[in-house]
Amino acid sequence: MEVMEILENLRDNYFYFIAMVLFIVGFHTMLTHSNLIKKVIAMNIMDTSVFLLFVSIGYVHGAKPPIMDTVQPEGVYINPLPSALIITGIIVAISITAFALSLVAKIYQYYGTIDADEIAEIRGSEE
Amino acid sequence: MSEDLIAVIIMFIVLFPIFMTAVIMYVGQKSEKLCTALSLATAMATFMAVLSLYSEATGGNVIEYPLFEVLPDLAISFRLDILSYSLALLSSFVWLLATIYSLDYMGGEHGKERYYPVLIFTLGSCQGIFLAGDFFTLFIFFELMSLIAYILVIHEETPEALKAGYKYLIVTIIGGLSIFLGVIIIFEVAGTVSLGQGPLFDEYSPLALLTFLAFLIGFGIKAGMFPLHVWLPDAHPVAPSPASALLSGIMLKTGAYGLLRMIFDVFGMELFQSLGWNHIMAGLAIITILLGSAVALTQNDFKRRLAYSSVGQMGYVVLGMTVFNEYALSGDIFHIFSHAIMKSTLFLAAGAVIWKTGKKKISDLQGVGRQMPITMGAFTLAAFAMIGIPPLNGFLSKWTLCLGFLEGGYTAYVIVLLVSSMLNAMYYLPIILPAFLGGNGATSHHEEDERTGQAEYPVFEVNEVPLRMVIPVAILAACTLLFGTLPTNVPFELSQYTSNFLLDGFF
Amino acid sequence: MYALEHVLNHLPAILVISLFVFAFIMPLLFIWKRDWCVPVATLSMGLSLAMSLALVIQVNQVGTFVYHMGGWEPPYGIEFRVDYLSAYMLLVLHGIGLLILVYSIGDLKKELADRVIGWYYTLYLLLMGAMSGMALTNDLFNLFVFMEICAIAACAIISIKEDRECLEASFKYLILSAMGTGCYLLSVAMLYMITGYMHMEKVAVALETGAAEYPYNVLVAMSLMVVSFGVKSALFPLHVWLPDAHASAPSPSSAVLSGLVIKIYAVAMVHLIFRAFPRELFEMIPMLEIILWLSTLGIIFGSIFAMVQENFKKMLAYSSIAQIGYVFLGIGLFTPTALVGGLLHILNHAVMKSMLFMVAGIIIYSSGIKRLQHFDGIASRLTWTMVAFTIGGASMVGIPITGGFISKLYLAQGALEVERPFFLLVILVSSLLNAFYYFPISINAFLAEQKREDITFKPVLKSMLVPVLILLALIIFLGLNPQPVTNMLEQAAEMLFE
Repeated sequence: MEVMEILENLRDNYFYFIAMVLFIVGFHTMLTHSNLIKKVIAMNIMDTSVFLLFVSIGYVHGAKPPIMDTVQPEGVYINPLPSALIITGIIVAISITAFALSLVAKIYQYYGTIDADEIAEIRGSEE
Repeated sequence: MSEDLIAVIIMFIVLFPIFMTAVIMYVGQKSEKLCTALSLATAMATFMAVLSLYSEATGGNVIEYPLFEVLPDLAISFRLDILSYSLALLSSFVWLLATIYSLDYMGGEHGKERYYPVLIFTLGSCQGIFLAGDFFTLFIFFELMSLIAYILVIHEETPEALKAGYKYLIVTIIGGLSIFLGVIIIFEVAGTVSLGQGPLFDEYSPLALLTFLAFLIGFGIKAGMFPLHVWLPDAHPVAPSPASALLSGIMLKTGAYGLLRMIFDVFGMELFQSLGWNHIMAGLAIITILLGSAVALTQNDFKRRLAYSSVGQMGYVVLGMTVFNEYALSGDIFHIFSHAIMKSTLFLAAGAVIWKTGKKKISDLQGVGRQMPITMGAFTLAAFAMIGIPPLNGFLSKWTLCLGFLEGGYTAYVIVLLVSSMLNAMYYLPIILPAFLGGNGATSHHEEDERTGQAEYPVFEVNEVPLRMVIPVAILAACTLLFGTLPTNVPFELSQYTSNFLLDGFF
Repeated sequence: MYALEHVLNHLPAILVISLFVFAFIMPLLFIWKRDWCVPVATLSMGLSLAMSLALVIQVNQVGTFVYHMGGWEPPYGIEFRVDYLSAYMLLVLHGIGLLILVYSIGDLKKELADRVIGWYYTLYLLLMGAMSGMALTNDLFNLFVFMEICAIAACAIISIKEDRECLEASFKYLILSAMGTGCYLLSVAMLYMITGYMHMEKVAVALETGAAEYPYNVLVAMSLMVVSFGVKSALFPLHVWLPDAHASAPSPSSAVLSGLVIKIYAVAMVHLIFRAFPRELFEMIPMLEIILWLSTLGIIFGSIFAMVQENFKKMLAYSSIAQIGYVFLGIGLFTPTALVGGLLHILNHAVMKSMLFMVAGIIIYSSGIKRLQHFDGIASRLTWTMVAFTIGGASMVGIPITGGFISKLYLAQGALEVERPFFLLVILVSSLLNAFYYFPISINAFLAEQKREDITFKPVLKSMLVPVLILLALIIFLGLNPQPVTNMLEQAAEMLFE
């Protein structure tokens, strides 16, 4: 049956599914919530979800971690490439978060609020 | 003359004025006399250079000269054939006279350091249009000339001038984009935009129709064809009079030139006739003629009436080019000559009157003829030529056109011509007659007459404009007489050569 | 000589790394020897310009060549691929970047607080380095990293001014940019899932079979990529961050952002479309059609919004939206001629818009005027500046003998080649709309009477005026003699299309 197939696929690839859910949660929050800190958090969630997706792609069932085992070099390792990429990605995400948060702090200093709607109002009345 | 020498002269004619613009602009900030002297010298040099090519051009030679390639297949090139030459000769001649006239007209005005460079630049780009060897070059010089002429239009910087200038600018840009559309379609369909390759379109296609419309709009805007003439009655009057003369006399003709090139070099006579597009153009031309003449009747502002008259007269030119026989085409080209000379005379004379007396309204012009007999005499001569009174050149052009229309079987056009001539008379005579015969308003004359009881005689109190303004006007007026009466005259011959050239297919 | 040869071999990497190294030295110099900051920054940009020229010469000699980072072959290593398009983009970036840097020397002292001027140069060099990296790289994830560096640097050079508007604009830009990056990362993940490669050409090869097996994945990946690059390069309707960001930034930043940053993303998209996806894919998925129509909307609406703006820099920012639309039009029409037109417009617009923003900066520096209605009669004091503005405006409209005309010529030809004359009409109508908002400003500046009496005009610094004049000369040069550039671009387009 179609529905059973879909559910089975979902159960087998639950990490993809979770990653997508997280991505959409992050994306949506970033767009709709007006609190600036929430936007930054949502950005992190979105990036993290993609990292999850990446890492989970590289996983091989029952394989060893991608660290060179000098004792027993043979065997299956999980794919090291995604892990390496994600380390880079996490660093990048952190730097963006740091910058975003510093901007939020500065905005609070100038506007007295971190609500995007209120800021838009203030800007509109200033123009 | 060797071909190389001719090529150099052609390039000189176009590029020397443009180069001198920068020099004049720089010099003009230091010394005014040097500025005007250089302008005059440039105009004179250009005219001489054009004259020197007379025998080459009338010998039937066609000289093409590519200058440099901007992009592959799109180069700046120049071309001398009889059509180009006729118009180049005409325009450099009128420009020279207008420059001489400007020397005194602009004597007390502001903005001279801007006026003279622009005058010379438009001279160069106008020559560039006429001497262009392909549509790309034509387009470039057309845009340059039209845009820089804006500075002439707004010269007075009054609110009306600025408004008229803004309208002119927008309409010019639309026209330029239209022509660009046509050029790019031609380039795409035919692979080349050179003149002289024979008709670039072989058959009808939607793109051909689009090209026709694009060129019609683009060049029609410049030539003042209905319904694209709306910028003209505002822009021509607000410019300084020598510039008005050039705008009405010459720059309108660039539009007609473009239309001629479109008919003969893009589509070819057979295709054009077979598609019936010459009838579309003729229809628009007829409306233009009648509309221009009719509205001119209602204008009280002197220069505005002349501007609407230009609209009407350009209609003749467009009408003439839709009939493809020898009389019609030679009449057409000759009318380009005649109208340029006549309208320049009229505008320069009008400018002289306004400059001397400050009167801009026709209703104020009574008695001006007695004050400025030479000027108004010239005006009268040119006006009569416009109406079509023999033996002036206007009559000759209308006569030839009518012969061509009759031969082509378009009797209706002849009737239109006659009606509009009558309208011309109706709006010129009210200027001329009061100028010479009218009273001087409340002057001592009336009171004297009432006291002595003697009959009024119009008395000539001559108070003319300076010589340098009178002479160009007089020369141009003399031309109207000469080119009408002399059996062999240069413009008429050139027109005949040109029409034969076009009809025989020697593009 | 051996050293020189060594350098030449590793030129792509050295180009990017040198910029980063200099970027990091800047703060130290600022603390120790403040006067050395500017010369060192200029030196760095000059060096990278020289290196870009060397790369162009190399590409002309040997054709496309690749450089492997650290000597590791793909798929293990990261590859830098230097082809005509990359070399062209590098030249554009560094040439105009150098001019903007020279311009900024005078301008920054007025706009920024004193303690942050050193940081500005850091960010500027980081931005240049990241953009160069984006132009060169042939690896999807490497592109992501450079994109992020570029995003932070770009947001930071807006917010470094630290006033109310630019902070909010910078944050908005950051959030939207981060959204774009997230989408891009997801699409890279999808492509990796299908193909197992990060290297663009290998991805294309693998996708030829992979697309048939996983059509939806590829569709999602492609769409996310277009969205991502659309957000970052202000494709309609994802352009909403641009007006505030470019208008409230310091003038040199506006010049860099409008002139260079949004273009590099378009170039990255070209790289992706042509290298990473097999050609047949575009016949199945009408992605280019969508880009074409969005670009048209951007062209028209950008101009319409620009017409109603009162703030000079906001007007220029909206105009940028319209002009980047031309670049995407060239990409969307998907013929070599149109692509050349779009790519040429990158150069032309970079020159024009940078010059116009510099003009805006000079006007603000000299007289403090920001609103268009106060522009009456300023040409009598700021003559050369307004002349430059007029020529720049004429180039935007597409008057012959200016550079803008040539790119429109190519685009128009391209539109006719694919037999869609509608886009030709779009180009013409938009040129007319451009005239509606550029020419009245010139007319006002030259002819109207100066109404406000209280404006004092500070003299314009040479270091601010000279780059403007150089760019002005470049516009006219490109209008009369575009062949060196168009030759290079035609080769680039040919190579991309084969």
